[in-house]
Amino acid sequence: MLVSLITAEDPATRDRSLAEACVSLDTEGLLQECSALDAFRRTSENLYHRVRAIFFLQAIHQFHLPEKLPTSDAGSIPFDGYENLLGRQFEEAIEVFLKVQDREGPSDGICSALSSAYHQLAFQTLANQVRKSVRTVRGNQWMFRMGHPADHPLRIRHELLEQDQHRFPILCERTPVRMDLTHSAWSDIFFLGMDFPQGARVVNVSVDLAIHGHDAEPKPPVEAYFRIVDEPVLKLTSIDLKATATITSLADVFDFAKDYLGLLKAAIIASGIIPPGIEGSGKSLAELLNRLVGPNRGIEIISSVNDIPKGSRLAVSTNLLAALISACMRATGQTQSLTGELTENERRLVLARAILGEWIGGSGGGWQDSGGVWPGIKLIEGELAGETDPEQGISRGRLMPKHKVFNHEEIPNSARQALTDSLILVHGGMAQNVGPILEMVTEKYLLRSSEEWEARQEALELLDQIVTALASGNIRELGRLTTENFRGPLQTIIPWATNHFTETLIDRVSKKFGEDFWGFWMLGGMSGGGMGFIVEPSRKQEALNIIHAIMIQTKRELENALPFAMDPVVYDFAINPHGTFGQIHHGDEALLPPPYYHLALADTLRTPPEKLSPTTRAELDQFARACRTKSIFSSSVESLFETLIPHTDDDANGDNSLSKLLAKNGFDQRQHEQIRKDLFEGRIGLAQNRLPPTTLIKDVSPADITDFTRSDSTKDLVVGEQALANGEVGIITLAAGAGSRWTQGAGVCKALHPFARLRGRHRTFIETHLGKSRKRGLEAGSTIPHVFTTSYLTHQPTRQFLDNVEDYHYPGSLHLSQGRSVGLRMIPTVSDLRFAWEEMPQQVLDEQQQKMRDSVRSSLLNWAQSTGESNDYTDNLPLQCLHPVGHFYEVPNLLLNGTLADLLTDRPQLKTLMLHNIDTLGADVDPALLGHHLASKTGLTFEVITRRLEDRGGGLASIEGRPRLLEGLAMPREEDEFILSYYNSMTTWIDIDKLLGLFGLTRDDILARDERKILAGIRKVASTLPTYITLKEVKKRWGHGQEDVFPVTQFEKLWGDLTTLSGIDSKFIIVPRSRGQQLKDPSQLDAWLRDGSADHIESLCEW
Amino acid sequence: MKIKKAVITAAGPTQQHLPLQTLVSPNGTTKTVVAFILDEIFASGIESAAIVIAPGTEKAFSSAVANHLDKVVFIEQSAPQGYGHAILCARDFTANDPFLVMMGDHLYLSFAKESCVRQLLNFASQANGPVSAVQPTHESKLPFYGTVAGSPVRGIQGLYEVSDIIEKPTPTIAEQELIVPGLRSGSYLCFFGIHVLTAPVMEYLDQAFTKKGDLPLTPSLAAAAKSEKYLACEIEGLRFNIEESYGLLRAQLGMALSGEGRDEVMGYIIELIATTRS
Repeated sequence: MLVSLITAEDPATRDRSLAEACVSLDTEGLLQECSALDAFRRTSENLYHRVRAIFFLQAIHQFHLPEKLPTSDAGSIPFDGYENLLGRQFEEAIEVFLKVQDREGPSDGICSALSSAYHQLAFQTLANQVRKSVRTVRGNQWMFRMGHPADHPLRIRHELLEQDQHRFPILCERTPVRMDLTHSAWSDIFFLGMDFPQGARVVNVSVDLAIHGHDAEPKPPVEAYFRIVDEPVLKLTSIDLKATATITSLADVFDFAKDYLGLLKAAIIASGIIPPGIEGSGKSLAELLNRLVGPNRGIEIISSVNDIPKGSRLAVSTNLLAALISACMRATGQTQSLTGELTENERRLVLARAILGEWIGGSGGGWQDSGGVWPGIKLIEGELAGETDPEQGISRGRLMPKHKVFNHEEIPNSARQALTDSLILVHGGMAQNVGPILEMVTEKYLLRSSEEWEARQEALELLDQIVTALASGNIRELGRLTTENFRGPLQTIIPWATNHFTETLIDRVSKKFGEDFWGFWMLGGMSGGGMGFIVEPSRKQEALNIIHAIMIQTKRELENALPFAMDPVVYDFAINPHGTFGQIHHGDEALLPPPYYHLALADTLRTPPEKLSPTTRAELDQFARACRTKSIFSSSVESLFETLIPHTDDDANGDNSLSKLLAKNGFDQRQHEQIRKDLFEGRIGLAQNRLPPTTLIKDVSPADITDFTRSDSTKDLVVGEQALANGEVGIITLAAGAGSRWTQGAGVCKALHPFARLRGRHRTFIETHLGKSRKRGLEAGSTIPHVFTTSYLTHQPTRQFLDNVEDYHYPGSLHLSQGRSVGLRMIPTVSDLRFAWEEMPQQVLDEQQQKMRDSVRSSLLNWAQSTGESNDYTDNLPLQCLHPVGHFYEVPNLLLNGTLADLLTDRPQLKTLMLHNIDTLGADVDPALLGHHLASKTGLTFEVITRRLEDRGGGLASIEGRPRLLEGLAMPREEDEFILSYYNSMTTWIDIDKLLGLFGLTRDDILARDERKILAGIRKVASTLPTYITLKEVKKRWGHGQEDVFPVTQFEKLWGDLTTLSGIDSKFIIVPRSRGQQLKDPSQLDAWLRDGSADHIESLCEW
Repeated sequence: MKIKKAVITAAGPTQQHLPLQTLVSPNGTTKTVVAFILDEIFASGIESAAIVIAPGTEKAFSSAVANHLDKVVFIEQSAPQGYGHAILCARDFTANDPFLVMMGDHLYLSFAKESCVRQLLNFASQANGPVSAVQPTHESKLPFYGTVAGSPVRGIQGLYEVSDIIEKPTPTIAEQELIVPGLRSGSYLCFFGIHVLTAPVMEYLDQAFTKKGDLPLTPSLAAAAKSEKYLACEIEGLRFNIEESYGLLRAQLGMALSGEGRDEVMGYIIELIATTRS
């Protein structure tokens, strides 16, 4: 039945949603459909039939089958299948998982494994097809055939070789960026354009930009320069990234992550100067340049982006790539004209090359992103594959879209001016990874999820209306439509398109301008970065400053909760009438932007004059002359001087200096030095985290664990309700971490992240947890004391945030328990880096991304060696150099910092604490569970859930007959984790007295706040727990929103290891997945919303 | 279309002396490059030839044409203004007749029974418009040649109807505009250096001539391709551009290895390889 949804000619059947078709099917029926779909996808010739079948299989295993299975049936996930997944052998992985499913029957675990394998297979299939299509575009093919310098068919145009007093001319390409006027509903994803060309439509405007209040007037923000040099090398400079390199070997051209010049290298390759076919040939760069440019000649390429940060949603990097490619193509005669605008055919070729360049560089833009190459306002549409296209028979649409540039009759000048007069273009300062969103969109499209499918049709209708409004100059209507698009179809397709920051901005701008605020305009990807506000024209000048102030204020309020890469900015803009445009400069006019000379001449000035080539001397003369005569060079001498003499850091002794922070947060220098010594001498490290290989790891038996999903809980419920009513229970939410996975090391407080809309508005993790406690308290006729643990990184922001929201009006007592210990991150040892990257199983990436990763890792190994293994990591913001020392310490901190004493003073009857992670959203004080814990008279009751593929990092194991939690770090072998059926949710019910007993303490000691005794007790227990060494990724921000990620070493002691101690008894209980599931990564959110988890959480809360 | 006239260009700055170089022919006789060319064209049925030369070189050329002097006229190109202009200089000579065009610094070695010129004239005899000799050529050689786009003429192996011509295209342009069905990927139909042209081509050249700058031949051929039936035929043979580095040596080796001196020359080569060091 489901296969017919894919093959049907009739759109009504073909566009039916999978969810609707699965409703009536039981487990057996779904399994039969899966068999049919799997057989179909193996034999179908049509790419999109195949891919759609694979997405169906993924969705069935992710959503439809698990909900029909008993919740506590764990099922096993075979390690060899997992290894296949890591190795990108998805077909093999599917075979392994299907065999297990046939043998053992369907289970939650195997469904998660199959779902993951099908998901990755689908995207691999689609990506392979895009790549194949990129290679087969006419004009690109020859570059993959050329493998020897002697065969190089390009030659530099003679105009660029003609010297004037030892100065070569400079070719300059200036390119606007593009704004997506309609937001395309992500229809510019290649996969969509190729399957649904009639639905892939965007209106895209080429714009020049200036930072409001900073630059004089808008100009094309992207520039590329090309010139010949008198040595056989490639000289590359990125002015905005302040990076420059002289490349002497072909291998270095293909090493993208070696420096910050990957985009320039991708352009050189995609333009055919160094064709991709020559990679790995072992030939000499000089030989190739000899053929291309002439003996002892080379090429210099310079890129410049004028003050536009990353994440602007203006496709800056794609347009820069296109500018670089255009310049290189002009220089090598691949365009008719060396200067001026490009012809339509040439623009299309630049587009094809930019797509190729993005693939080579391991990045990926949308198909409209090279829009800046074209002039003015244009409609970009998908196109059906014709008979001569390489896509014919494979996909309905072509890889390359068609561009229709609106002329001045279709969109008159007055309408263009009206748009300029009303639109305020901004960058909100957030930089987010849109990759997961693009995957979600593709998946939803292929599954034809009904709401999203209807929204897509609606977005298409809105596009026509937006064009009509624009053509008639009715900007008020345009604003209404772009807002409708944002509120309606875009958020129906991707609820995560908006966020709390954007909503706050819209709300504040709307309140400030009332009727004069005509609309909000989302530029693309996700909001929070590039956005537009449309206002009544007479108020635009005023609005430019007001909106800037609102953005800055809102950012200040939320910068600890959301990842901002920079302060918000407002742009002035103008519609660019040329598209990409080339100019050539000769003689005295052949000058590069001043910052180029500050970068490039520093080395030249250190070289003795007699060793300088005539060309370099001529350049120095020219620069000196420009400094005297040209105003833009007026401050160049000072800037050059600054580059030559490094300046000292003024902040080194401020209040937030690293040394003061360390002192303030209880840094233990002695312990730190011991760890450094042990690390350096190899006594501790990633390899040493592991238990001895002889350790026998087994799965627990039913006797070791209670299945709470099946047991009768009536008695427990009564006991629990009574305890709640008596006020005997409190909650500890672990919120000290920065959520490094959640924000990829951005260093914000995860607890404060307004992660999703619940009951109509964005809620933070803290608000959600308080919502549950509020509801349980109300039901019990009592209140529940709630403690959030914090750290050096999260304490102050959390305090301030809770003050601002007045503790969310929580009726019970609310405490912050501040961390009392901190570590200083260290440079990793090479052996730990190698262990992490070579010994531990690694996810193989696709070909180009893998190359990028290998190159990055090689650079990081060099960085670790040259910076000094195990040295302190101090080259970042001080807060980014500290680390929390593991969640074990969070409960002892309660004892040390007086929080437990406060709780006990307030509620002497307090007997039980429920401890849980900030991201375990389903955890609440369930009276039945509480009752079960109380009835069992156990010191610690740990909640576990059945394991899914993504639940990595340890689990419940039986070691020498004793059940205990085993951290992933400590597994003797990777495969041991796959023996374990249950995953630790971290939620723990704690008997306060028994825990104090473990530390050798009593309530009286706590109430007496006897710090010395408490500290001694903690040290004693801590010494019996293992110290784990971990590698964490930390972001270092620089430039305009640029970020580097470094691996750093830190140590931690973990809560789960209490289960190994004899001083306290531990029990384990299986709880439903909805209770124990953790939200670790924003990419989980969409499935969390779709599989009913969000509704479940909402039902647990009272706001 | 009967072809009786030929135009040989030899006036380019680097061409002036090359046609006067001597080579040993496959049958062992020694003669000048220009004599080779004239031997081939007159043997193919051409009745008279005009050699376009630089001013002051007529005497040297007269002595080099050997026994063909009575069938040859010399036309001076007063200044080097491009290949197209050199041909245009012979307009009075060609009048309204179709004519063969060859370059004075190129030699040809046929793989077929008939010479390269004869092969072209055979095709041209069946045509009513320009015909250019072409060869499938690897894309790495595109920077050296005019390249044609066309479609095979049904039923005649090696004959194409030309739709466009681009001089020294990049492979990027070639891949988009010059792909010819039936050729291997990365191969294009490039000019072989011999053409049969017609009076309208002279007309296009005349129209394009501005007295300023060079007058190339290719744009006028491209114009002809748009207005009349223009054919290209594959030639079974080798071309030697004696202007290139070692061009004369390669031409000599080609001649020698395809004639009586083959064994002797191979012996020399092997001896040289064995005794010389790089």
